[in-house]
Amino acid sequence: MTTTSALEKVYKKGLFGDHDNKKEDSLVKISEIKNLIIFQIVQYKNSSISIKDINFEGLQLNDEASKVISNSDTRILWSGPKNWLLVSSKKELLKSIHSSFKETDFAITDLSHSKAIIELEGNNSKEILKKGCPFNFNELRKNNCVNSVFNGITITIDMIEDNPNKIRLFALRSFGESLYDSITDASLEFGYKTL
Amino acid sequence: MLHIKCPHCGLRSQNEFAYGGDATVKRPELNKEVSDKEWDTFVYLRKSPRGKHLEFWHHISGCRQWFKVERDTVTHEIFKTLKPNEDN
Repeated sequence: MTTTSALEKVYKKGLFGDHDNKKEDSLVKISEIKNLIIFQIVQYKNSSISIKDINFEGLQLNDEASKVISNSDTRILWSGPKNWLLVSSKKELLKSIHSSFKETDFAITDLSHSKAIIELEGNNSKEILKKGCPFNFNELRKNNCVNSVFNGITITIDMIEDNPNKIRLFALRSFGESLYDSITDASLEFGYKTL
Repeated sequence: MLHIKCPHCGLRSQNEFAYGGDATVKRPELNKEVSDKEWDTFVYLRKSPRGKHLEFWHHISGCRQWFKVERDTVTHEIFKTLKPNEDN
């Protein structure tokens, strides 16, 4: 499965903004992430199954706000009560998703083609997000996720690494180009490199 | 700008929320004969209190859950937030 880029018309590789006389390592790196599978998992209200009994690919599901559980290729983001977003680079997960999450208890929706994903890497990543998002980024730690807005666009923020900061942003595909423009505008003062 | 404590996500900016109206309005009971006046009252009639007001808010750009907020309509002070099934 290869997905068509959501940012095809706006994404250009190169160095942009205030990058002169700066080491490339110190610039923010912006990249579009493609070819991930994304599933929304929602437990039905009348489901009596305990999520503690669910073990998916060695990951123990939990209902704690803002927490991400992850292994090397899969991340499960808390999206709301009894609501998770599963993101993985492992394409063959579909069968195990359906066997782990029974259709009598969970609604599984494939969102793989309906999201634009932008990844920011570098120490100024949080500063960029602070420009358009009201969330208190001082509270955001590694393996935390947040649903919020960036310049009016609803986004999901997933903090993958904290040294240096590596943050993944998910937006509805149709808002991808606007989000990319907003993020790159906010990055100009720091200088950025697109990969 | 208000900061609203979502019962699920914690303290967040008002930008992430949508106002959902008076939370004290009760829908007429199901399967019961409802007069036009009762229905009209349920659909249209709202108080506009000065002071404490219980209202619905939707964390539309967050966890997408509805919840109740007790807010002062004069000072905008928020006293408490509750899940929809909680009373106090």
